[in-house]
Amino acid sequence: MRVDFVKAVETALARDPDALFITGDLGFNALEGIVAKYGNRFINAGVAEQNMIGLAAGTALTGMRPWVYSIAPFATYRCLEQIRNDVCLHQLPVRIVGNGGGYTYGIMGSTHHALEDLAVLKVLPNMQLFFPCANDHVAAAVSLMSELDGPSYLRLSVSAYNTERAALSEHPVTLTRTYAERADRSRPGVTVIGAGHGVQVALRALAAHGLDAENVDVFGIARFPFRLSDDSGLLASVLETKNVVFVEEHYAAGGMGESMKLALPPLSAFTLMSASYSPHQRYGSAAFHMKQSQLTPEALVSHVQARLRAS
Amino acid sequence: MTNAVPPLAELVRAALAIRRRFLAMHYEARSGHVGSGLSAIDLLTYLYAAWLRPIDRFILSKGHGASSLYATLHHFGHLSEAELATYYKDDTLLPAHPAPRGVAAIPAATGSLGHGLPIAAGMAHSYKHLRATGARVACLLSDGECNEGSTWEAALFAGHHQLDNLTVLVDANGIQGFGRTEDVLTLEPFAKKWEAFGFEVRECNGHDFAALQAVLSEPPSGRPHCVIARTIKGKGISFMENLVEWHYWPMNEAQYAAAVAELDRTESELGR
Repeated sequence: MRVDFVKAVETALARDPDALFITGDLGFNALEGIVAKYGNRFINAGVAEQNMIGLAAGTALTGMRPWVYSIAPFATYRCLEQIRNDVCLHQLPVRIVGNGGGYTYGIMGSTHHALEDLAVLKVLPNMQLFFPCANDHVAAAVSLMSELDGPSYLRLSVSAYNTERAALSEHPVTLTRTYAERADRSRPGVTVIGAGHGVQVALRALAAHGLDAENVDVFGIARFPFRLSDDSGLLASVLETKNVVFVEEHYAAGGMGESMKLALPPLSAFTLMSASYSPHQRYGSAAFHMKQSQLTPEALVSHVQARLRAS
Repeated sequence: MTNAVPPLAELVRAALAIRRRFLAMHYEARSGHVGSGLSAIDLLTYLYAAWLRPIDRFILSKGHGASSLYATLHHFGHLSEAELATYYKDDTLLPAHPAPRGVAAIPAATGSLGHGLPIAAGMAHSYKHLRATGARVACLLSDGECNEGSTWEAALFAGHHQLDNLTVLVDANGIQGFGRTEDVLTLEPFAKKWEAFGFEVRECNGHDFAALQAVLSEPPSGRPHCVIARTIKGKGISFMENLVEWHYWPMNEAQYAAAVAELDRTESELGR
């Protein structure tokens, strides 16, 4: 998603003379084009995330609209108080970009994983979260963020199960994507919802693990707060199936699944597939960590089949 | 470069009036942080009387000094009497630490230490390199606040980018939350630290307007400025001076009466 982000944010910088790009000393082999083209509106704040967010807020107080970039854990946790006080409480258009959501940085180790980023940010006043489902979903998120007068966060990720599957449709405001529709709406079905790149687990299951043979709707959500009244397709599906399997590459506590369960009407079942912390820590690729958390296409298919059997 | 500096005697009288109002606010509200405000009032008086132009911005990073800022803003006509009267009361825009988006003259909410200088550095960078308005930014820190890493992150940034439109004032009263600065976390050699971060540093008596004028009317040097203002916590009320306790205590009736009587004596001495 990083390549798609850089391309999209270059467009944002070209369109808005008050847009500005600040990095926390990351972006090697990615941001050089922005430096060359928009050097006067590019700041490398150094390895100092608290100051990076504070100074971004300072520039925003003078009327600038900064994009602030680091890897997801560094752009969120160290500087959380700056995000809360300096950005959110002041309702400033500071766009925070975290690369490497979830287990993207698998073998880099747990300091580099971002499994609580959406949880800590979603409670902040005025904050809006964007978590694209796929590479071709990033530009739309950047474009929407460019229009916001208040704070926002963009979670860029690479799924261990990345597919290139095209969406059937995409809502222009919520960015919710429909990836698959039930073959028979009169039979029991399951609504599969993936948060951001978590939906790639479902897309892989559709492509290679027999999920396409089941009576499922598959949606990818990409924005919080949810705007469910706009997501008529998703809501209609849930009202009909009463069965949701939710997938997210994030801890369950504070995640999008928890919020979605509260937001939806009463259901027969809500199965949450999320990242889990293991005290017996071993490290590997993103796929390794996804398997440890049972966040796999196989596990998803078996959850769906269990729900269908019970219906 | 700066505003015309009013006669120093006028500044002394303004600071006295601000102290008077400040104490009345705290007595009425039964609120603490009296000592912290008294140490900053002369610095704030100088800034608002002589240094800040309409395009310039001021960030009170030591947010616990908010009431001294409110009283100063009111004295110089930037905050109405009706607004000031709501200080510390329900439904006010003037809580114990500055609020976000509440008062036009206060650009940023502070109160958690170590936030003001990064914000001020961002504003100064924007005014110098992005918007080129010629505006200057002043930021008032407490010395205790220089325990915060984010303060030094911002100092690195300001030094590296040669933000000569940024002036940092440190209200160095030597006392922080639970002890003397020298006992808690030594800052000395304080001036050398700021110099090493790329600042043009001056030290002065933070209650001496002539000294403040000397250090604050220097032309830009291509570097950010730091003024280490040596101050006295509780300045002006002798029984409050240099005591940690007056970071916290509100005044009782007798203490308030004694404080006002001391200001009366100071004022009558000015008249002679």
